[in-house]
Amino acid sequence: MAQTMKNRWAGLLLLVVILVVLALLPVLVNNYWLRIATGALMWAGLACSWNMLGGYAGYINFGHSAFFGIGAYATAILMGADFAVPFLATIPIGMIVTALFAVVIGAPTLRLRGAYFAIATWAFAEVLMQFATVVDFTGGTGGIGLPPFLNERFFYFAMFAAAVLTYFLTWSLFERSRFGLKVKALRDHEPAAEAMGINTSLVKLQTFVLSAVVASVFGSIFAYWVTFINPKSVFGGDITDQMVVMVLLGGLGSLWGPAIGGVALFFVNRLIWMYYGDTAFYIAILGAAIILVVLFLPNGIAGLFARRSGKSGSVLDTVLGRLLGSRQGGRS
Amino acid sequence: MTAQAPAPGDQPILFVRDVHKHFGGIQAAAGVDLEVGRGEIAGLIGPNGSGKSTLFNLVAGMETPDRGQILFDGHEIGGKKAYKIARLGLARTFQIPALFENMTVSENLLAAAAEGHWHGAQQRSDETLALLHLEPVANNRASDLSGGQQKLLEFGRVIMRQASLILLDEVTAGVHPNIRKIILEAIARLREQGTSFFVIEHDMEMVRNVCDRIIVMDSGRVVTSGAFEDIVQNSEVMQTYLGRPQ
Repeated sequence: MAQTMKNRWAGLLLLVVILVVLALLPVLVNNYWLRIATGALMWAGLACSWNMLGGYAGYINFGHSAFFGIGAYATAILMGADFAVPFLATIPIGMIVTALFAVVIGAPTLRLRGAYFAIATWAFAEVLMQFATVVDFTGGTGGIGLPPFLNERFFYFAMFAAAVLTYFLTWSLFERSRFGLKVKALRDHEPAAEAMGINTSLVKLQTFVLSAVVASVFGSIFAYWVTFINPKSVFGGDITDQMVVMVLLGGLGSLWGPAIGGVALFFVNRLIWMYYGDTAFYIAILGAAIILVVLFLPNGIAGLFARRSGKSGSVLDTVLGRLLGSRQGGRS
Repeated sequence: MTAQAPAPGDQPILFVRDVHKHFGGIQAAAGVDLEVGRGEIAGLIGPNGSGKSTLFNLVAGMETPDRGQILFDGHEIGGKKAYKIARLGLARTFQIPALFENMTVSENLLAAAAEGHWHGAQQRSDETLALLHLEPVANNRASDLSGGQQKLLEFGRVIMRQASLILLDEVTAGVHPNIRKIILEAIARLREQGTSFFVIEHDMEMVRNVCDRIIVMDSGRVVTSGAFEDIVQNSEVMQTYLGRPQ
């Protein structure tokens, strides 16, 4: 018990130190590194939003970039000359639009299990990307520009605030509340969760909408930050792919896993780009990371630090088992 | 069947009439009629494939009956969703323990109370851990438990539901005698508090010691019901159930 309390205080102290360092980062590093840190915070937040449904509820969403894209396009369109809405006001509007899309898409697709749900969500993102390429109000394949605002510190703190809020929301909702118990229960055994009085359809939809809305916020900030978006840059399947690998590497279904995986892989991405001027090699690293996790790290990097009472099973086993249609999981 | 639904005030906790269910060409329930009284522990026996688990699934809302009537505490529940039936006060265990495997033992218990029974859940969870002798493994993952402990934990979850009717599907099958004793003591304690039980069991010793009445199923129908002593005197039933030569 004393050891547990000691570890808890040590963890809290580490968190405070990290937050203080992150808050002071703009005065510690130049704009180049600040830009990289901004990107790392965005990916940590996006990975966390994917983990809400994929890790806590066990539903693998291969179309999560759709919600990132909706947020990005909402901000880009609303900040354009036709509407001239202030940036901060575009974020809640993007969240509402995203939530509506999530309800319309989630209600039917969350009835599907395993690979069927994954395929349906992937198709949804593809459809949205194609739609964005053929309609005028998105700028089509040519994309859409936003009013430039060249203030790296502003975007750093915007991503920082969004990431902190995302992790606080995840901690309070999924780790410390009744809602989190319901979500994890349906992940582990949906019929048993129903038998405990849990309306699993509703809880899944709530989680789906929440994860979508969070991704939309990062999409809004991203669009304003980069000042130009096109369908591929915000709806592309590689965005979801990266979130998935970041979560798997960091630790599926854990609070800090997405942060660890997101920051680690984004820095690898930037380092490769710095030294080789191209990120093709990064794709190979993503593949290697998946193999590494499946074979040796089912609980991800975060699992190396977790106090585990035994060795049997992991969230990855449960989720892969569902994805592949077997109760026993993907590893033997 | 000519039996009518019982009048209010004299209602059994569970009332099943002429319930049918087929899967493809297999008739799993072929006009099931039975009742479970309030405060009663009713045992359900029958050979494998006789329709016992299908009946549990129909009552608990895991399957929808093709036709027939199922009343729980006066509410028509045939075809209702499982979570709605659970919220009315019916809880169940599964033949193979259906645990929340990545959650701890304590979290499993709390999850069972997360919908509708949250007030005082932490205290009841502690009491349930003590009652079932699960305190030493309270912070272990459910998947790390032994088979017997998993049965205990699943039973603990139905305790947390504070249900008026509990369906137990072979809850003592294959467990150590000590764990069996813990479960039987907990059943007796809940029964004193007014909980009714409907129990699928192959262990005739347990059936004799625990159940007030035995219901025998075969080929999707109720063959007979009565006190244990009457049932074992029925050579036709024993032939069907145990394959004993006459």
